[in-house]
Amino acid sequence: MHINYTEEQQMLRDSADKFLRDNYSFEHRQAVIKSGSGYSSAMWQSFAELGWLALPFEEEQGGFDWGALEIMLLSEKLGRYQVIEPFLETVLLAGGLLQAGNNQYLKDTRIGSLIDGSEQAAFAYAEGGCSLPAGKVKTTARETADGYILSGTKTVVYNGPAADFFIVSACLNGQKDNLVLLLVPADSAGLSRKNYLTYDGRHASELQLNNVEVKRNCLLADPLNSHAVICDVMQKAIIAVCAESLGAMEALLEATVEYTSQRKQFGQPIARFQVLRHRMADMFMELELSRSLLMAAAWHVDQRSDQADKLLAALKARVGKAGRFVSQNAIQLHGGIGVTDELNVGHYFKRLTIIENLFGSRDYHLSDYGKLSA
Amino acid sequence: MSDNQFRQEVRDFLQANLSTELRRAGELMTSVFADFDATMKWHRILYKQGWVAPDWPAEYGGTGWSLSQRYIFQEECKLANAPALLPMGLQMLGPMLIRYGTDEQKAHYLPKILSGDDVWCQGYSEPGAGSDLASLSTSATPDGDDYLINGSKIWTSYAQHANKIFCLVRTSREGRPQQGISFILVDMSSPGIKVDPIVGLDGRVEQCQVFFDDVRVPAKNLVGEVNQGWTVAKYLLEFERGGHNFTIDHKKQIAKLRKQVAGEVNARGMPRFEDQVFISKLAAVEIDALALEYTELRIKGALEAGQNPGALSSMTKVIGTEVGQRFNELSVEAMGLLVAPYQDHALSPAYDGDHIGPDYGLTTMAEYINNRASTIYGGTAEIQRDIIAKHVLGI
Repeated sequence: MHINYTEEQQMLRDSADKFLRDNYSFEHRQAVIKSGSGYSSAMWQSFAELGWLALPFEEEQGGFDWGALEIMLLSEKLGRYQVIEPFLETVLLAGGLLQAGNNQYLKDTRIGSLIDGSEQAAFAYAEGGCSLPAGKVKTTARETADGYILSGTKTVVYNGPAADFFIVSACLNGQKDNLVLLLVPADSAGLSRKNYLTYDGRHASELQLNNVEVKRNCLLADPLNSHAVICDVMQKAIIAVCAESLGAMEALLEATVEYTSQRKQFGQPIARFQVLRHRMADMFMELELSRSLLMAAAWHVDQRSDQADKLLAALKARVGKAGRFVSQNAIQLHGGIGVTDELNVGHYFKRLTIIENLFGSRDYHLSDYGKLSA
Repeated sequence: MSDNQFRQEVRDFLQANLSTELRRAGELMTSVFADFDATMKWHRILYKQGWVAPDWPAEYGGTGWSLSQRYIFQEECKLANAPALLPMGLQMLGPMLIRYGTDEQKAHYLPKILSGDDVWCQGYSEPGAGSDLASLSTSATPDGDDYLINGSKIWTSYAQHANKIFCLVRTSREGRPQQGISFILVDMSSPGIKVDPIVGLDGRVEQCQVFFDDVRVPAKNLVGEVNQGWTVAKYLLEFERGGHNFTIDHKKQIAKLRKQVAGEVNARGMPRFEDQVFISKLAAVEIDALALEYTELRIKGALEAGQNPGALSSMTKVIGTEVGQRFNELSVEAMGLLVAPYQDHALSPAYDGDHIGPDYGLTTMAEYINNRASTIYGGTAEIQRDIIAKHVLGI
């Protein structure tokens, strides 16, 4: 397998690396987190100017119509530089759902403001421990003469505090297989949120929907196409978080090699000790196995291949294992300094731990892979 | 008294003396340390009862309990969610002074460790001396009847609360590095000491860096002979590494995991207790914990029979901490995305407001994060394996 990246793809990768290296220091990130605002609006506007926010949208909406490979190239850099801005939540999840749905009114009225950076959005799907976007939901949408009445509770809605609107999954008229997606403006009557910081430096909300009236034209996906819409978005989302993980693992391995090469104990750099050399060799192999599956999965998603879902399950399961191994050992090999707030190593570790639990855990994807292979 | 009668006596005592707030402090522990104020409150209650130092010989304030009784006491305290007492004075310095201290030092320091009037911290590691502790460079230079101490110590747990610190310092640069180290007791209020807090990955301060700038310490504060500190330190490290009973920690972890398994669903919405994959992963770790429990019982048996358990003690720290970390991983898996909310305020025992997610998941992420340090402190897992290879296998 060899992917010849186009000139445009290489430019995206290189310019993202340069922009983030020059403008997104770890100190900047930590200062933004401590300020309590969730992310930097100025940074978000820069992302808009760089065109990143337009990336996955169709050209007729003002987007670039870019696919999984581009998402992979950009997300890897977002992972490496520990970007907390809600590219995943606003652009790939909420934006992706708008794009994949067939509600032209919502596309025309909402996508433009996502691309120019003026609006934020979030996908509210998880309920308690049920955290599969297309999984079981108890939130109900009761049909009325001119729309829907929405009631329920959504948990751990990333980017909830900043969201101008939410895409909410619910079951239509309380029938559990009738999944619908509705767009709900954040200022709707009956919608309330409890906001908090997350361990990986982002902001999220518990979302209460108490008889929220939603207009009929805000139906993004009906029971006939909701699963297809979510699956389409999940493909890109899994590519994104796995690429983000890969960027994080690369940074962790580099930091660990550098640290163990300069840290001296017993009169020599600790990188000379065989047990540590082998550990770092294992970290490298975990990372490269993940990269191989990432490239293959992204390519198959863009080809709309029938192998895509199986490769995505393999990828998410593999990255779950690799992310845990690489980040735990990066800490172990750094010693005490690895578990402090001042070094970036532990922050990669926390993000990788959350990603392991996003969009299906390793166990979930292992069993999914088993089913798809049978 | 039979062990069962003794157990009942301990339970009655805990029932009467361990308040709801103190139990909450134990429940909310996310590392080996509990909330400081609750810890000291519990310390003083146990002191009043005469139970604060069961491992010390009776003539110095110990309880005179058998090994079994001490084990039962530890177990009952932990399972009742008593906050863990600080080990620096009771487990580390105390036994060391009893063995190596002068009569004057014992008379001066031991009673205040027992009463909780002195809170000790441990000055061993330095920025340049971690695994290779013998390369430490903080120096103590004779000056009249005193020493002048210069340098810095790091990973000093709870130095921000301590009024005393015991330190390993360099008193000679001749011979092997181990030969020029001395053990000295220092008052934290001495001029020239500065304490910088180190913020942990969970956003809290447990560790500090302590700086010494011409800190004057009387020579009578040396413990043991000058340049013989390494022997003293090794004795103390054995207590830090081998003296801990991991089985009791694991039982507490298993109890919490059982609640999570009973209360949670997996991402598909299937109850965890029906999730065979998860159940068998949990069983695998529990079996390793069980094997360690019987290993610890073998050690206890050997000690009771007056034998030296030797080789077996070397492995308990490695297995104990690694099994603990695997329980932490399973806990994170069981809670899934619910580990994401950062709710530091809700981890304070005094907090009685709402929090996100079930109570049994409140500490999960912080425990997972903080326990990564357990295979680093007190000798890394790599160093411990080296010790097993070298001293047990002779290779």
